Amino acid sequence: MDMYKTLPPLHNISGECVLQRAVLVRKKLSVKEGGGWLSGTLFCTHFRVAFVPQDSQRPDDNADPVLLGDHDVALASIDKVVAVGPSRTKLVTPNGSLKFTPEELVLYCRDLRVFCFLFDRLTPDAQVMEITYTIAKTYQPLKAGTLLSFQNSALGSVEMKQFLSNRRRDPNMNWFECSADWEQELERAGATGWRVSSVNDRFEMSTSLNRFTVVPHRVLDTELKKTFAHFNDGRIPRWCWRHPRGSDLLRMASFQNNIYHEKDDIRNLELVLFGGQQMCVIVDLGEEMPSPADIQVAHTRLRTLCLGDISSSVSVPDDKWLSTLESTRWLDYIRCCLRKAAEVACLLRGGHMTVVLQELEDRDMNCVVSSLVQVMCDPHCRTVAGFQSLVQKEWITAGHKFLSRINYQRDCDKEEAPVFLLFLDCVWQLWSQYPARFQLTEDYLLALHDSVQLPLFSSFLANSQRERCRRSQHLPQSYTPVNGLRELPMGEPEEPVDPPFPPVWDWALQYSSSRRARFTQPVSQAPCIPPVLNGNLNTNLERSWHSDGLPGSVFLLSRSSFSNPSNLLPWRSGNSGSYWKSHRRAPSAEGLSGLERLIRACSLSDPSENTTTLHDPFEPILLPLLIGPCVRVWRGCYLRGALHPQAFTHPMFSCSQHPLDQLAFEVQELGEKLAQASVRHPEHQTRQQEPRRLESNLNQNANNGTFLFSSRSSQHQPPASRATTRPTNPSRAPWTASQPSRSAQRISGKHTFLFGHQQESQSVQRYIPSPSAKYPKHPSKTS
Amino acid sequence: MEESGSVDSVESLCSSTTTRSDRSSASAAELRGKGRATEKVQMDPKKDELPLLPEERIQDVAKDVTYICPFSGALRGSLTVTNYRLFFRCTEREPAFVLDLPLGVISRIEKIGAATSRGDVSFALVCKDMRNLRFVHKEPEDSLKKSVFEVLMKFAFPVSNNMPLFAFEYKQAFPENGWKVYDPLAEYKRQGLPNESWRISKVNDHYELCDTYPAVLVVPVTITDEELRRVASFRAKCRIPVLSWIHPESQAAVVRSSQPMVGQNGRRYKEDEKLLQAIMDANAQSHKLFIFDARPSVNAVANKMKGGGYESEDAYQNAELVFLEIHNIHVMRESLRKVKEVVYPNIEESHWLSNLESTHWLEHIKLILAGALRIADKVESGKTSVVVHCSDGWDRTAQLTSLALIMLDSHYRTIRGFQILLEKEWLSFGHRFQQRVGHGDKNHTDADRSPIFLQFIDCVWQMTRQFPAAFEFNENFLITILDHLYSGLFGTFLCNSEQQRLKEEVPKRTVSLWSFVNSQLEEFVNPLYVHYASHVLFPTVGIRHLQLWVSYYIRWNPRMRPQEPVHQRYKELLAKRAELQKRVEDLQREAANRTASSSSERAGSPTRSITPVQTFV
Repeated sequence: MDMYKTLPPLHNISGECVLQRAVLVRKKLSVKEGGGWLSGTLFCTHFRVAFVPQDSQRPDDNADPVLLGDHDVALASIDKVVAVGPSRTKLVTPNGSLKFTPEELVLYCRDLRVFCFLFDRLTPDAQVMEITYTIAKTYQPLKAGTLLSFQNSALGSVEMKQFLSNRRRDPNMNWFECSADWEQELERAGATGWRVSSVNDRFEMSTSLNRFTVVPHRVLDTELKKTFAHFNDGRIPRWCWRHPRGSDLLRMASFQNNIYHEKDDIRNLELVLFGGQQMCVIVDLGEEMPSPADIQVAHTRLRTLCLGDISSSVSVPDDKWLSTLESTRWLDYIRCCLRKAAEVACLLRGGHMTVVLQELEDRDMNCVVSSLVQVMCDPHCRTVAGFQSLVQKEWITAGHKFLSRINYQRDCDKEEAPVFLLFLDCVWQLWSQYPARFQLTEDYLLALHDSVQLPLFSSFLANSQRERCRRSQHLPQSYTPVNGLRELPMGEPEEPVDPPFPPVWDWALQYSSSRRARFTQPVSQAPCIPPVLNGNLNTNLERSWHSDGLPGSVFLLSRSSFSNPSNLLPWRSGNSGSYWKSHRRAPSAEGLSGLERLIRACSLSDPSENTTTLHDPFEPILLPLLIGPCVRVWRGCYLRGALHPQAFTHPMFSCSQHPLDQLAFEVQELGEKLAQASVRHPEHQTRQQEPRRLESNLNQNANNGTFLFSSRSSQHQPPASRATTRPTNPSRAPWTASQPSRSAQRISGKHTFLFGHQQESQSVQRYIPSPSAKYPKHPSKTS
Repeated sequence: MEESGSVDSVESLCSSTTTRSDRSSASAAELRGKGRATEKVQMDPKKDELPLLPEERIQDVAKDVTYICPFSGALRGSLTVTNYRLFFRCTEREPAFVLDLPLGVISRIEKIGAATSRGDVSFALVCKDMRNLRFVHKEPEDSLKKSVFEVLMKFAFPVSNNMPLFAFEYKQAFPENGWKVYDPLAEYKRQGLPNESWRISKVNDHYELCDTYPAVLVVPVTITDEELRRVASFRAKCRIPVLSWIHPESQAAVVRSSQPMVGQNGRRYKEDEKLLQAIMDANAQSHKLFIFDARPSVNAVANKMKGGGYESEDAYQNAELVFLEIHNIHVMRESLRKVKEVVYPNIEESHWLSNLESTHWLEHIKLILAGALRIADKVESGKTSVVVHCSDGWDRTAQLTSLALIMLDSHYRTIRGFQILLEKEWLSFGHRFQQRVGHGDKNHTDADRSPIFLQFIDCVWQMTRQFPAAFEFNENFLITILDHLYSGLFGTFLCNSEQQRLKEEVPKRTVSLWSFVNSQLEEFVNPLYVHYASHVLFPTVGIRHLQLWVSYYIRWNPRMRPQEPVHQRYKELLAKRAELQKRVEDLQREAANRTASSSSERAGSPTRSITPVQTFV
């Protein structure tokens, strides 16, 4: 038909074919997108429901493929399809039929987004019916077979495979896939006394652990091997992170096989647990914390509450919203995780101890708490690269059972539990309480949240690193990003079943550059240099409690108090514990009270206590506020599908940007104007000098860390309405014209700013304030 | 998250109990800023003397008073009472603990129990700003000497003791006179009034028609003053339907009034019907008129027994009556009392949300916002004129019209525009501030007290959350208004009506809050503000989109202190922007000069215009 020729075509991913299309469709925009409606064309392919706005640019054929456009939704994300007719609403099922022509099509997604498409009266009825049926038939149900065809339609084409295999992975983050990665992390944390062991290189010791584990120097590999048997699934105590004050964070599964005959065996166990420190605190995450099943129930309730019961369109009455929200217990669980992590973080400040997180399987709550502790304490983990490294370290390679927990194939309903989403919500709570301490933004957390529902990423498509490695072995092509296991003996090369899966961190594959630009704060006071975590910072906290001096005191932290139960380390309690019998002493009360004093700081119950304990010379812990009003529902995520405030007569509202973005944008723009003004009269020698002074002035200030503006803001389209209020904007055109070439630079340049080398790349003008300029206008920093 | 504003030196309660370096330095900066501006108080923690406002006199000082802080326990220190404030300082702690509150905030002072064997007496102060304070003090042995609390009683409730409020003594000179902010004629002129359908009537020039209405009224041209006088007899308290706001394009009008005196017999009144017909006719775009009755319909029916009631659709042709189901002042007072119970001093963690729900406070906020939204929608989308009333037309009606006006007219979202809105819809139209707040009156059980104005400010705050860039003012501005609603420092919120204020010569004898505010606007500017001239805001009013205004209601809890001084960074960016803007302009001007005169441009030294950026070090 002729009318289609004027319509912008869908930018196909190679191999993708359009199953159905409908013209003259309007999409309802969320608040983040500016609200209102957008007209365009709706497509349905094997892989996604795509919406192409009317006035969108012709896609550049040479550009790298982006799986999802800004207005698209992957079929795998769709949970329910609802057709809204003149007088009724109907859930559209693959086999059901519609007795009316829908006026509106609502797609409810598993990630709690809601897409709403409105058909025009001029949209041909046949198109409306067909696309509704097509979407209903293609999206579900997600079973092994459909999953594979979905994956293949997204990534399976030859071109796509080729493209993916040439993809370089982000060099700024730590992937924790080879021993050098771990060495690097040890060095970053300034952890001495630890080494990387590769006894599990072939997953012989433990199938669910990473190939590399960090253990104390003093334990030899041969000795280490004997300890695996004493832990559930061989998940021995392993080093995660060192606090700048010198305490180490470890994690392990529960003890198993309580027969301890050999003295050496016990010695090794203790060495692994104490890692050269004098004291060990075991934090049991079994009790108190929500179980995966609890989390699943809470999340299901939360979903129902936020989306309403779609099929019956019954939702919770508004006046019962608060109590119903409370009864989901989701916020309770968040508070619980944050509190436990805050306790551990405060404990680590004590120095000279190992804090060992223990959980039955070491694959759920240990992931949550250990990574939350690091987000609270380590500013590096609040940058995008650092956060991704953290998830790589504590979740993906540590063997969180993503595949079962997310339950893509709907075949392990009993195991399904959004533990990772709970963690993301916890991070969001921290972010919303301390937005300026994060380099990453809510948009980033949302992107990660939504990606979890997309069964395309190697990060989430396996339950352990071993499975990930196995899968990649089958691949004929060397798609290295998944792991670096080239040297492993290859099995019989089978016919490739699955397409190559990229890691989730390859954001360019999923999101357009404008979306990705919002992943980081325009103005970040993230520290330019990661703090020197050398472990020798233990200065004023030389408290009496560890002068106790007994090496090998071990305590249990449970319900915010410490105890020393005799069965804490099974080998010490039984008769077999002859080795330690002679050394045992009653734990001093002093030790206990000292620990309790540490942890009291985190409860914030006594403000006077905090003045001294929380004052850290280099980086305060981000202690979350946990009282009722402070732990809030993540509106930007769970209520995305609900009604939104509207401002009449302006299609793009400014709240679609991060508040600071807008200011940063204007500052940036003015900077550009300055640059423009300065090149206007290049012919005259004396005149030329003047602008240069100016430029150097600006740079100088930037180098002093005085101020900051972002280059990426220039790539933002300013809200249309704002553009009208500004009369002219001469500098825009050159910027947009040069975008494609710049975007590549940006990715690599972006991270350099974090470490304060912004001069390297001319185009990256992100300036960071030096730590001393944090709050420039404050009169004093004295407490 | 913008830093909550802590407004004046009453803030010191918490700033001194804060614990972190960043927090306390933030509040120190705040305190310094506020101190300078608000009360001309030079806060020097090292000095012991209390800096006083002009005309403020120390009335009594008591050493050895214990303040029982619900957050940090008992604190011993000295208590000073002036004719304006209560000042408690504890120097045992580092940093010093200071409690500084205007006496106007105190709602009730109670002696708890009898003196103990040691002669200690315990006093509880119940405050209007969501907190209670408790002191323990030794009774003076000399029975002739008055206890500091007797002095406090006297000065906290000057009206009950036949003394003038401190506002009448306070003589601070500000660069701007806030009493000149609102000129009704200028404001109506801005709206394009008078025009061919609406005229300005002098019928109430001397408050003869209605003593609670302003002197300047806007009415349809077709209605004579004589007819207005007759309508007055049919409306409660003579508050006839008059124009509040007119849509610049559609000419749809927002009209406010009190309830018609229909009574049990369903009395009809021709002049009133004619007036409403004239209001409808003044808008050519629509042949309908919406009458919004703010009350629950049962209450409206019950009012018939007392001679009041509502317009019947039989009598008023083409009018549609809508009840907005908003409850009366007594329900609101009770709801806020429950909020206070839930948030002060301690918050129960596990049942926080259901406790909050049981106060119904957010539900009331929702109903008010929803009502205002319906009004704004009818005017904007339906192009229909509306009449808004409740019973007397000075509580719920003021809330509804002013909120609808904020949604409809971006002018009222600026700092000065908001001041005009308050002066117009609340002060000139006779919201009974004296009765609702009870300035200087010790009768704390007075049934006329109610947090109606607070509720309105809360609704405005909810809108600022949903439209962060649409308001020129920040949260601090709203909190400042509320703090000075009670403080008794400024004359703005005194008396019940325009007539009373003139009679008491309030504008002559007191300082306006706007004098103070407009003299330091930078404290109150929202850095994210973008001026959208013609945008109408339609907030979402579901409870799931409303929040409790934590930084007002729970600001005394040290565990709620804002964590990040984000607004500080906004301000820095703003300053940076202003500076760059200036430089761009300078450069452009220079460039323009050069192209104009191609050779002799050296006179203006180019380097002069470039000032090195030093502000942010």
